[in-house]
Amino acid sequence: MGKNVLLVDDSSTMRKIIGRSLRQAGIDFDNIFEAADGLEALDVLENQHVDIVLSDINMPNMDGIAFLREKANRPGIKNIPVLMISTETGDDIIGEAKSLGAVGAIKKPFTPDKVNEVLGPLL
Amino acid sequence: MAEMFSIGNEIISGTQDVFSTMLMVDLESEAVIENKKCAIQSNLTSMIGLGGGIRGLLAIHCPASVAKAITGAFLGMDVDELNDDVKDAIGEIANMVAGNLKVSYAKIGINVELAIPTSIVGESFYVSGIADAKRIIVPLKMADAIFWVELMYVVNA
Repeated sequence: MGKNVLLVDDSSTMRKIIGRSLRQAGIDFDNIFEAADGLEALDVLENQHVDIVLSDINMPNMDGIAFLREKANRPGIKNIPVLMISTETGDDIIGEAKSLGAVGAIKKPFTPDKVNEVLGPLL
Repeated sequence: MAEMFSIGNEIISGTQDVFSTMLMVDLESEAVIENKKCAIQSNLTSMIGLGGGIRGLLAIHCPASVAKAITGAFLGMDVDELNDDVKDAIGEIANMVAGNLKVSYAKIGINVELAIPTSIVGESFYVSGIADAKRIIVPLKMADAIFWVELMYVVNA
């Protein structure tokens, strides 16, 4: 079975750019699911097979940190890896994300090479 | 370190970084305008609120043609009108420019918190900031078209 990814960002533009960067980096997914915030992301994870999540931090309704916290409490989805893609780079917030299970972080703006460098070893 | 810190230069380098990395576009900057009035012709303005060690906002002001050109370069498609894609794209660029500014401020020990960007479309509007806010405007050129990045802020005690 091929791999599926979930892109979580309140910006539809950024979701398109991340999807394009994955293709430019030569990373192929069978399905690219999208969500505009943490709440939508949890719904996708509960109803679709997802291998990895790429998530923003600053989002309305449920931000990336709250999403990680809620996901960690759901046995069926808590082990799905999450990579943060955000303008947030502070040690405090990235440290908090990692303590909640995030496997890494990519700073916006980013290049396809950077996506490949960080995401590639996780697949 | 703080004495050598130029917010205008940080805005210029941060904006150029976003455009060169995400749009493959090189920007030229014009003279930074500090605490003076400046004629800005904007049909789309994207703003992001700043909190923490400073409070205020960062805004990107674009004439319609520039907003469409930036979005077209960002998404790799033709853009004919100031639609939701354009508002979202310029808002995301404002978010990344503010993110780079946050990194710049962190180097001098100031933590900046970012809100979620908002975009407005119209004519004959202006952005009003906090009373006594410092105002820095950076005109930037993409090819021959000009747009402006503006920072209005007060340093929190």
